[in-house]
Amino acid sequence: MIEFKDVCFEYRSQSADQPATRAINGITEYIGEGEFVVVLGRNGSGKSTMARLMNALLLPTRGTVWVEGMDTSKDEMVWEIRKTLGMVFQNPDNQIVATTVEEDLAFGPENLGLVPAEIRRRIDEAARYVGMEGHMRHSPHMLSGGQKQRVAIAGILAMEPKCIVLDESTSMLDPKGRKEVLNLVRTLNRDRKITIILITHHMEEAVDADRVMVMDNGRIVMKGTPREIFTRTEELKKAGLSVPRVTQLIHRLKSKGLALSGTALTVDEAEESLKGVLCKGEKRGTLDDTSESGENGEVIVRIRDLTHIYMPGTTFEKKALDNVSMDIMRGEILGIIGHTGSGKSTLVQHLNGLLKPTSGSVEVDGLECGKKTLKELRQKVGLIFQYPEHQLFEETVYKDIIFGPARLGLSEEEIQERVSRVLRILGLSGELLEKSPFELSGGQKRRVAIAGVLAMEPEILVLDEPTAGLDPQGSEEVFSFLTRLNKINGTTILIISHNMDQIAAYCSRVAVLNKGRLEMLDTPKRVFSREERLGELGLDIPEITRLFRNLARSGYPVSGDILTVPEAVREIAGLTAGQEPGKGGMFP
Amino acid sequence: MIGNITLGQYIPGESVLHRLDPRSKIIWTALLMVAVFMINTWQEYVVMGAFIAILLIISGIPVKQSLKGLKPLLLILAITAVLNIFFVRGTPLAKLGPVAITYEGIISAVMLFLRLVMLVVAASLMTLTTTPMAMTDGIERMMKPLERIGVPAHEIAMMMSIALRFIPTLMEETERIMKAQASRGADFDTGNLLKRVKSFIPVLVPLFVSAFKRADELAEAMESRCYRGSKGRTRLKQIRFTMLDLKASLAGVLFLILLFGQRFWM
Repeated sequence: MIEFKDVCFEYRSQSADQPATRAINGITEYIGEGEFVVVLGRNGSGKSTMARLMNALLLPTRGTVWVEGMDTSKDEMVWEIRKTLGMVFQNPDNQIVATTVEEDLAFGPENLGLVPAEIRRRIDEAARYVGMEGHMRHSPHMLSGGQKQRVAIAGILAMEPKCIVLDESTSMLDPKGRKEVLNLVRTLNRDRKITIILITHHMEEAVDADRVMVMDNGRIVMKGTPREIFTRTEELKKAGLSVPRVTQLIHRLKSKGLALSGTALTVDEAEESLKGVLCKGEKRGTLDDTSESGENGEVIVRIRDLTHIYMPGTTFEKKALDNVSMDIMRGEILGIIGHTGSGKSTLVQHLNGLLKPTSGSVEVDGLECGKKTLKELRQKVGLIFQYPEHQLFEETVYKDIIFGPARLGLSEEEIQERVSRVLRILGLSGELLEKSPFELSGGQKRRVAIAGVLAMEPEILVLDEPTAGLDPQGSEEVFSFLTRLNKINGTTILIISHNMDQIAAYCSRVAVLNKGRLEMLDTPKRVFSREERLGELGLDIPEITRLFRNLARSGYPVSGDILTVPEAVREIAGLTAGQEPGKGGMFP
Repeated sequence: MIGNITLGQYIPGESVLHRLDPRSKIIWTALLMVAVFMINTWQEYVVMGAFIAILLIISGIPVKQSLKGLKPLLLILAITAVLNIFFVRGTPLAKLGPVAITYEGIISAVMLFLRLVMLVVAASLMTLTTTPMAMTDGIERMMKPLERIGVPAHEIAMMMSIALRFIPTLMEETERIMKAQASRGADFDTGNLLKRVKSFIPVLVPLFVSAFKRADELAEAMESRCYRGSKGRTRLKQIRFTMLDLKASLAGVLFLILLFGQRFWM
């Protein structure tokens, strides 16, 4: 299907004195017809460049790429190549051309010069296939991210390709949208035998692949079946990736000497594997639920009966928040979870006065939110939106960081001191300060944008999906400085996230929103113990928790409220410690 | 929540007007507008008004919807009407200081008002019964002959439809960036004009950066879907000049002959 021979690709540098950057560094690879290949790699590893080489959007600087025997560098072939190999991109918004779904699906077939009746047949079929037939006349901006990506896929399907390349197409979606897209892609591969090349930095998406390739520095550094790849955790770590939590757990237990078989890629496999070393029995001691509910200490934000209605009195009227009352404690890390559209963003925008309550009140550190307190409020509450790097605008990083502090009437020295403090917390080097923010890498941009808010030295920091679009290493960096900030400065931190593993690992309390109402507010352990209710709300629980709940349900003496890998290791270690040697005891 | 506003005021329907070729709608709207400016007796006003009212009934568009377009024009309308009342010379009816309100002034103000209402209703009849895509298609086809003298008809139409597609997206984005900058202490509401204009730089720069990025990515996506300009491209919905258009056009011609012909034989 696709063949790479000795392929190199260099991006020409913008200025003469900089050397060209080599994005692809000698790849020779073959992808067969009907394969489902997942290409993994951190940001900047060259995986997107590789996708573009397959579609003749980029041409190799050296070597050759063939798609079904067609050389991509031959001009007259480009048309046929793009007909054979369709591409779905990362940003759902930036690949929809037309003002209605129907017209957008037709765009590809129209370019192929098909007759209207045939276009009609193909787009109707494609829309049915992806389940968007009821949205044909809708305007694309009214759709969810997952729906938009399904439209994009249908638009490619209508061109009847043999191969589809998805370039990080799931990275900007919420968990539901991601599932929608992944399920669709899997069915396409299974039922229609369409070759799928899925590019991602989420290891979980690689579990079902026929073959996995790991890229780093423009090279393919590992390849094999998911099972083979997932055992090599050390190498993966070096490539900036991390394996699913359950795989991590089994791996760690093995390295501690527990006789477990194989690698676990999914919760089910991990369960089977652990059943082999655990004995059924009663849980010793009752479930210790003495963990504090976290509701002691000083209240920093007091929200009472908060209701917010968007565009009241119009046909678009929407109640985004419905009578929410809650207290946020000084110094806590509070996770806010909920389905897309449950009111999370609306809630946090009340904290710094971007939105005014329709009714009810919000009080931050004794300040009633209102016109007069706005300036003070915005200094106390730092709000960081999704993809904060999109708000960078100054010529240099330094100027961008001091944008906020310069408006606080601080002295020059104080500002400089703040900047260096912030750089230290974020782990950024001082050399960056004179660079243009637009030259930086994705992860650096994100940190610089966050620095601009941190330099205001807020007492409360609110982050909306702080790790969206970052690779595992980048995400880890974000959380490590957030915990630092919380420990050293005592900053209260609110995190909106869809990533339950992150919430479980870092938050002291979790608030669950549903349809504008506060559904739960408790410790992660208690919140995630209500698996059924969360499921009804369309929310997952951490993988590890699911594993242990399953084990507990099957009659094994484990607690069902384990949240993280280290906890899980301790739990299993405690259980197997007393066992006879030879039965897999861990600590002899 | 700006994103909720639907673009193009198109109201779906199956009326004759909905089914007409966008080209005939564009041409006839233009002709009607010219005609509205040419009428000057009250009889002609009545006939014209009745004709537009009939079209409105045929289209099935609610009257309220068709008058919505008037709202932004009301202020200009009021000012010109007032100016007319005071500055058209003729038989004075009342005196207000140095200026006089004249009979002719009031008549011309009323006529101006009626004209504008008819213009707006005629124009919105077109936009309310035609999808933005059909409209750009129609424009593209009409400009086709101009391609020979180097006018990029297809490209212009494509740009128009992409602009329509991205207006809501960019509006949402503007809102988001403004909120983000406000959270960092930006102040858009106080200070003199210069200061306010300056305060928009932190919004405009990221907006432009992102617009260029979007343009880049969109171009890539279009290319990978085999787009290469108008060459060899067909359309899902072909616009065709049908019998219906012929009949409608004949009716239109007949109406214009009646409207202006009476000037000669009456």
